[in-house]
Amino acid sequence: MAINTQNVRNIGISAHIDSGKTTLTERILFYTERIHAIHDVKGKDGVGATMDSMELEKERGITIASAATSCKWKNHEINIIDTPGHVDFTIEVERSLRVLDGAILVLCSVGGVQSQSITVDQQMKRYKVPCIAFINKCDRNGANPDRVTSQLRDKLGHNAVAMQIPIGIEADLQGVVDLVTMKAIYFNGENGEVLRMEDIPEALLDQATQKREKLIDAASMFSDELMEAALEESVSVDLLMDAVRKGTLSRQLTPVFIGSAYKNKGVQPLLDAVNKLLPDPGEVENIALDMDHNEKPVTLNSSTDDPTVALAFKLEDGQYGQLTYIRVYQGTINKGDTVINVRTGKKIKIGRVVQMHANQMEEIESIPAGFIGALFGIDCASGDTFVSPGTNVSMTSMFVPNPVISLAITPNDNKSQVNMSKALNRFCKEDPTFRTYVDAETKETIIEGMGELHLEVYIERMLREYNAEVTSGNPRVAYRETITRKAEFNYTHKKQTGGSGQYGRVAGYLEPIDDEDFSFENKVTGGSIPTQYISSCEKGFKQCMAKGPKMEFPVTGIKVVINDGASHAVDSSEMAFQAAARGAFLEGYARAGSVIREPIMKVAVETPTEFQGVVMGLLNQRRGMIVGSQEEGPLCVIEALVPLAEMFGYSTVLRSSSQGKAQFTMEFSSYKKVPQSISEELVKKAAANKKNVA
Amino acid sequence: MSLDPASSCIIYLKERSFEMLKKDLIFRNPLRLMGYETEDILPEGGFGAVLARAGVGKTAFVVQLALNSLLRNKNVLHISLNDPVEKVCLWYKEVFRNIASQYKLDQIDRLWETILPLRLIMTFKVDGFSVPKLKERLADITEQNIFSPHMILIDNCPFEEDAAQALTELKSMALQNKQHIWFTVRTHRHENTDSEEIPPRIKPVSELFDAIIQLQPRDKVIYVKNLKKTPAAPKKTMLFLDPTTMLIKGKK
Repeated sequence: MAINTQNVRNIGISAHIDSGKTTLTERILFYTERIHAIHDVKGKDGVGATMDSMELEKERGITIASAATSCKWKNHEINIIDTPGHVDFTIEVERSLRVLDGAILVLCSVGGVQSQSITVDQQMKRYKVPCIAFINKCDRNGANPDRVTSQLRDKLGHNAVAMQIPIGIEADLQGVVDLVTMKAIYFNGENGEVLRMEDIPEALLDQATQKREKLIDAASMFSDELMEAALEESVSVDLLMDAVRKGTLSRQLTPVFIGSAYKNKGVQPLLDAVNKLLPDPGEVENIALDMDHNEKPVTLNSSTDDPTVALAFKLEDGQYGQLTYIRVYQGTINKGDTVINVRTGKKIKIGRVVQMHANQMEEIESIPAGFIGALFGIDCASGDTFVSPGTNVSMTSMFVPNPVISLAITPNDNKSQVNMSKALNRFCKEDPTFRTYVDAETKETIIEGMGELHLEVYIERMLREYNAEVTSGNPRVAYRETITRKAEFNYTHKKQTGGSGQYGRVAGYLEPIDDEDFSFENKVTGGSIPTQYISSCEKGFKQCMAKGPKMEFPVTGIKVVINDGASHAVDSSEMAFQAAARGAFLEGYARAGSVIREPIMKVAVETPTEFQGVVMGLLNQRRGMIVGSQEEGPLCVIEALVPLAEMFGYSTVLRSSSQGKAQFTMEFSSYKKVPQSISEELVKKAAANKKNVA
Repeated sequence: MSLDPASSCIIYLKERSFEMLKKDLIFRNPLRLMGYETEDILPEGGFGAVLARAGVGKTAFVVQLALNSLLRNKNVLHISLNDPVEKVCLWYKEVFRNIASQYKLDQIDRLWETILPLRLIMTFKVDGFSVPKLKERLADITEQNIFSPHMILIDNCPFEEDAAQALTELKSMALQNKQHIWFTVRTHRHENTDSEEIPPRIKPVSELFDAIIQLQPRDKVIYVKNLKKTPAAPKKTMLFLDPTTMLIKGKK
């Protein structure tokens, strides 16, 4: 593996669903001689694309988890992260964007800038990832690269500039004209692997000259030399490329390439552009969080001699155990090194180091800064940071949102039960927002996650990858109980049923708090409750938090203060005080104005303006509070806060009422009190359920 | 069992104190010192303009007007022609937090929660904004009973030469729907903002306005001046903006 990072590119390929990014990756792998035959997504040969190694992905024709692969093109090493395109997997997308230095934004020449392109573009903006655009599917009916380029300007605000024009269009697409070298490029051979350079056809010469002038105009903003050369009409290829590169790296210019991956046209020039225009790892500033100084951002040095900092961005369960994809930001990870996992603080010895190519691998000795590779036999979770001993920085914040939706799953047979637990164990490690536990009362396995589709995909993966057949219940919202006002308690637990008795009195008050789930304060003076029983009191109160007296939802946001009590020399015990605390909690809770709280989601719907009214109406019907609407050209984004309980099945309704043109994203915002009428309904439902169980 | 009536009594007191808190805030609002007769300053169908140079505090000023309406349970539609929704939300949060800390309020979160559903923000690009478009958007939300504003704020209104016709249209809409509208208008250095004169850009349409307020920064203080001398307008305004919090204060 080359240490010279100037010849390394870590890139991602992001796009709207079905823009053909996996097909493009497949072609890239073919031309870089990583694979020797082309298999199409949903292809007739039934093999599926190389990057879609997960069976489910092959069947549905979508990429769910990002796979990393590396290839070589003209002396440059290109590591490609294939990112998922669906909105529900944004954690994956964001995690991969963290690892990239540059990206290819794939757009469909017919569909143009679609809503997911906008989401992906915003994420790229957030992580300051420079990108080049590739307008794919130029062989399709209705293809219009010019329109897509202007959409890039209008809808995404990119300073998009054409680097090529097509020779022929739609079914007649033959090749492209490179506006930098002013040559026509044709793609010959069975799979378009032979490039034939010729003079520009007469008919396109004028158009090409005009577009080249536009390109020079745009690029000269980033280079005075180019501007001078343009005035003297002596623009050289290198000068022009340098200026375009400067613009691209600063994200102020987006060069646009065109072609058709499926028809094997335009892929090789795109690879040249990746080499020439996208940054090498040394040119990108990487920020880590200093854990010793309250997550203060620190800039990493991409030198291989400094202490190691690496991020595990993806896990996979292979036949030889867990495979951990990592990106090294600083220093080098060598076989046999010892590193520390910042999250757990555990020391880890690096065993096998490999370089991945979709689902094949190649053993290597080390991964230097700037490279992407994989480790074997490391026990860690996705998003963990590995550092050299003595360093304490983390690449990701330790904050992980709590799951908002849960589902009960029951294995269909014994075999499935074993497989299910294996699958759950792995999913939890892979995805910090996915959790699982066994309900103590119903003995059901509960899975929790961030959305309906999130859980659905995991259930399907269980079946496909682990052969675990499960039956799932209805999705349940994670309601919480809390109190709204201060209330006092003074409870005596007294029992004399033969043998030694039980005695304990606990007095104090409960009050609502915002920033913590539970807090306990001991203000007992004069030993009215002996010190050795205080912890029993706390334990008793804590036990009550798991299941609220009102609706049996977990109780949050309560501060318990005890300030008085009584004990008995013989009859008081830890058990007695725990029971007294439980009684005291119930007594106080009944007076404290308890309410049920529900998760509220921040929903952003992106819709063409003509559907704005309909979308707002839909949100309003779902108890949504519309925060605002933002018009951006022909599209508008409506932001609203909507209870999660009302969001089930929303995507279907939204699609059908907007001719499929509106899309939405949602994320957890906060917990809020459930309105009285809904709360009553919940109580009724719970009572009915209890009856059924009985 | 005798606890129940007692606890319900506590709720009653709390609710009362909550309402009192709102009333107290409205009462303490220095805008009252401007001395207009109606609580909203503007009558139904009325127009108000807040003029100032960039960065002086126009948005903060109108956000305070909006909060005052929100506290009186009146719906406010905030239209911003340059800021995204999130930024406008931040303005409200910041101004509200400042007011709350100035009067040392408790229950801020609860108060905030109660006024939030009364506010709706719409943002447009300046060149994409027009009166027919606004009417269409308003119809979208009012016809479905999603939101019907009592007060509309148009932040950073461009006021171009042909503004008169658009403003007249807006006025008839406001009158019909019993709304009043505040505009913020950015003035420029060459428009001599120190004088008592109405800037030339507004002058041709000044007839349509019931209040024209100018924010004049002078000696580290921002003075609030009423340029429109109508019979309804108070004789003398004694207000200024605190440059650190951008809150309106009455002058001692």
